Amino acid sequence: MDSAFGHLTVLGSSLVLLCGLTLLWRRGSAAHIGAFAAQSVALAATAGLIAVVTGSRELWVVAVILLGLKGILMPILLKRMDRRFGGPRELEPYVNTATSLVIGGLLVVLAYIVTWPILDVSRLPTRAGMPLAMGLIFVSLFVIISRKKALTQVIGFLALENGIALLAMLGTYGIPFIVEMGVFLDALMGFLVMQIVIYRIQETFESIDVEQLNRLSQ
Amino acid sequence: MRLTYLALVGAPLAAALAAALVRPYLRGVGAAGALLSTLSLVAALRLAGQVLAGATPTWGPSEMMRVDALSALLAICVAFVAALAAWLGPGLGRDERYTPAQARRFRIFSSLFAFTMLIAVTANNVAIMWVAVEATTIASALLIPLHVSKASVEASWKYILIGSVGIALAFVGTVLGYFDYVHLAGERESALNWTSLMAAAPSMHPRVMALAFVFIVIGYGTKAGLAPMHTWLPDAHAEAPAPLSAMMSGVLLAVALYAIIRWKVVVDLTVGSTLPDRLLLVLGLASLAVAALSLIGQRQYKRLLAYSSIEHTGLMCVGLGLGPLGAFAALLHLVNHAVAKGMMFLLSGRILDRYHTTEMGEVSGLLRVMPVTGGLFAAGMLALAGLPPFGIFFSKLSLVRAGFATGHPWLMAFVLVLLLAAVIAMLAQINRMLYGAPPDGVRVGESNRWGLVPLALCAILLVAFGLGGFGAFQTLLDRAVAIVSR
Amino acid sequence: MPLPTGYTVAIAQTALALLLAPGLVGLIRWLKARLQNRRGAPVWQPYLELRKLFAKEVVVSSNASWLFRAAPFVVFASTVAVAFLVPVLAVPLPFDSVGDLLVVVYLLLLGTFFLALAGLDPGSAFGGMGSSREMTVAALSEPTVALAIFALALGAGSTNLGQIVARTMADPAAAVSPGYLLAFGALFVVTLAENGRLPVDNPATHLELTMIHEAMILEYSGRYLALIEWSAWLKVLLFFSLLGNLFVPWGVATVLTWAALGWALATLLAKLVVLAVALAVFETRVAKLRLFRVPELLAVSFVLAVLAITVSFLVR
Repeated sequence: MDSAFGHLTVLGSSLVLLCGLTLLWRRGSAAHIGAFAAQSVALAATAGLIAVVTGSRELWVVAVILLGLKGILMPILLKRMDRRFGGPRELEPYVNTATSLVIGGLLVVLAYIVTWPILDVSRLPTRAGMPLAMGLIFVSLFVIISRKKALTQVIGFLALENGIALLAMLGTYGIPFIVEMGVFLDALMGFLVMQIVIYRIQETFESIDVEQLNRLSQ
Repeated sequence: MRLTYLALVGAPLAAALAAALVRPYLRGVGAAGALLSTLSLVAALRLAGQVLAGATPTWGPSEMMRVDALSALLAICVAFVAALAAWLGPGLGRDERYTPAQARRFRIFSSLFAFTMLIAVTANNVAIMWVAVEATTIASALLIPLHVSKASVEASWKYILIGSVGIALAFVGTVLGYFDYVHLAGERESALNWTSLMAAAPSMHPRVMALAFVFIVIGYGTKAGLAPMHTWLPDAHAEAPAPLSAMMSGVLLAVALYAIIRWKVVVDLTVGSTLPDRLLLVLGLASLAVAALSLIGQRQYKRLLAYSSIEHTGLMCVGLGLGPLGAFAALLHLVNHAVAKGMMFLLSGRILDRYHTTEMGEVSGLLRVMPVTGGLFAAGMLALAGLPPFGIFFSKLSLVRAGFATGHPWLMAFVLVLLLAAVIAMLAQINRMLYGAPPDGVRVGESNRWGLVPLALCAILLVAFGLGGFGAFQTLLDRAVAIVSR
Repeated sequence: MPLPTGYTVAIAQTALALLLAPGLVGLIRWLKARLQNRRGAPVWQPYLELRKLFAKEVVVSSNASWLFRAAPFVVFASTVAVAFLVPVLAVPLPFDSVGDLLVVVYLLLLGTFFLALAGLDPGSAFGGMGSSREMTVAALSEPTVALAIFALALGAGSTNLGQIVARTMADPAAAVSPGYLLAFGALFVVTLAENGRLPVDNPATHLELTMIHEAMILEYSGRYLALIEWSAWLKVLLFFSLLGNLFVPWGVATVLTWAALGWALATLLAKLVVLAVALAVFETRVAKLRLFRVPELLAVSFVLAVLAITVSFLVR
């Protein structure tokens, strides 16, 4: 039973990570938003699975909020933003796709090396998925620094938050409830503020290509 | 005790609410905000008094909030600079530069900004501290483009993206610390309290805590402006309106450093202080080097001040990595820098209003155009450059002594060379600004005389700190250092 | 009836593979035709093609060297050698001591290499173009084969293909572990790339500018072409056997009795048919990728293989 639970959570974590890697593979905002939505759903499913096995009511709430907020609400808002200031369908990223994917794979390997000491500490059956969560964190960081469209950078940041949530879930079955709620609130506020700033960027620059943001260079 | 704490954090919150609820904007709201910020400052001083008397006030379920000497010190700094910004910010006097809508937005978000910073420095629960620091990013990001322009929008985008990424990394570190505690002591309501972490620190796993600390330093270091995560700082601090820059440069960087300090104390007990010290030294030196090199050839005075902030944060970081003596230097530096930078940015706001340009080449004859402003500006530059009798001179001296005491003579030599380069760069520029003939079309004579009073007070404080400070302040500082270098 | 020895089974298994390969490809073509609402050629059409080609005259360009004549034999021989090493019917077989994962990869690479050289040899433009494209694809797909199977080998503790199969049969839960699933994904994409299937290459295209594999063999005719086509079909069958027997090994005979071998044959046919249907459906749904997108797809499979290794390394 324990081993099946462990396998399933690792499966869920792999799905979450693969959706993150899809951000490096596919081009175009529609694909990115879809990948983020799928990732959030997979994350919510993993949270639900852990909630079922550990019987934690708080994790159920977290799973539901993840599904509603990041699986449904944010993709809708992102799609609306994309429709309003989509601009050209694809912008060439700083690093081309094939190289990005290989770097992404290497980052996952790096995450395994970094997370090695942590695996000795934990005795939970879900610990095998923690390196994958750390890998998602690294891959999301790479997405943020290597993509040119402001919208894609925001999606990368949201994927980063997913990775951290996954890490917390796998490592300690979640964090204290008050803190979790504070984190969600912060995430929502941060997202709304980013939306507003992107709107401003579109207004003043007529595009959301961050290469244009180069007036302050000294 | 509880009332004082409520006054401390409740006052800015009330000011924000008042500004949000009253539409259209009335000058009375601004005045109320300024008075509330003074109330907050008085509360901070009272809390410091209670701490000095031996108490450690706590508040909230499972002691979420706790004020010890370090918190009290930071709270005073935050409340002071916030009060400066509230009294000298838009919306109080007859200001043609800002529309009522802009003034209202300023009042709401700057008060929220002050509120979140005060929560961050008085939080016992490290997760609440994290939430508050994240909230500071959100509160300030919307204020940077108060005057919408391509440059300010670009600055706010960089600020919120890089700041949020940094904070997210700090959260990874927090989660790892929680993970280690839980696997040691089991889940508990107070698991994320700093006091609990301190108690459990000696038995936590060194490798996990070392990894957590790396994430914490990189994460909160992004908010503090440490190189190489500093790229957002010059843009954000230069493009923001002057009172906001004063708060961001003066105290937000200090609050981020405070978060690093809180974690460092815990990690020092688990891992030993070699790794944390080395990490802080490396990052501090990198920031110092980047800032010193960028100060040479800087053409805009607000960016000059922003890079100077990076330089001083780097110095504070170096100090934190040099043991108890260095910690003393760092905290003294923190207080002096908060006052000095706050004053300087507010003065730069006045210069911008008069000259309508941010280029240093176009500002000349400052002493003739606005004598008091120019004089205070010169005094502030001298203070930031670390010349006596200002307090920063003594904190730099203590820093160098700490460096020699812990066996890093070559490091200190390198630091001194970089500081010298920075000083020369800054003083050369200020010289050009102060003297010479004023450009055409610039009105001569001070406007808004009363606004100079708080700034003159800052200058007096800087000299007072340099000449030995107040006895109570010294004791508070010593107690704070004792916490840091346990 | 006496029990068959290991050597007999190995030779029989290879002969079976050779015999079945054209039928398998014929089945795939027939399924695709039906899915596209055509009647399609009968399933045994490839056998008739082979008979026709062996009877026809060989026309060799005057610019060609000995390489042109030797390449078909090298390709055929290397593919047949791989057939000896891949677990088709039974494990363990006596040739297993010689062959493991790395030998298989090298043999496949040998065939690809010679075919690419043969494309260049006559000096035609299309041949050269096909060869360069083939090398681009091979550069990313060959390491992925090795990595994907290596992920499985980590669990089995040996790169011997027979042992990998045996280990999965002993531990069924491992078959749904993420390492296996990721490796399956990687290997599936590589199967498409190595065998010149959509979305990497269209095996039925007439347009030279879109060809990869077909462009290399454009100059071949007669029995040479027959050998090359037969090796290509055999490769498809061997990759299918790998996919089927490594990841869903139940049915592979572990003892050399007639009953076990009969059962192994039945399950092998079933797996081949299932994979043929899957491939036909997939090829009908998917469009051919533009050439510069192919490395991206292969990079995805490479990353999947790397992930498979890292995940297996830990859960071990």
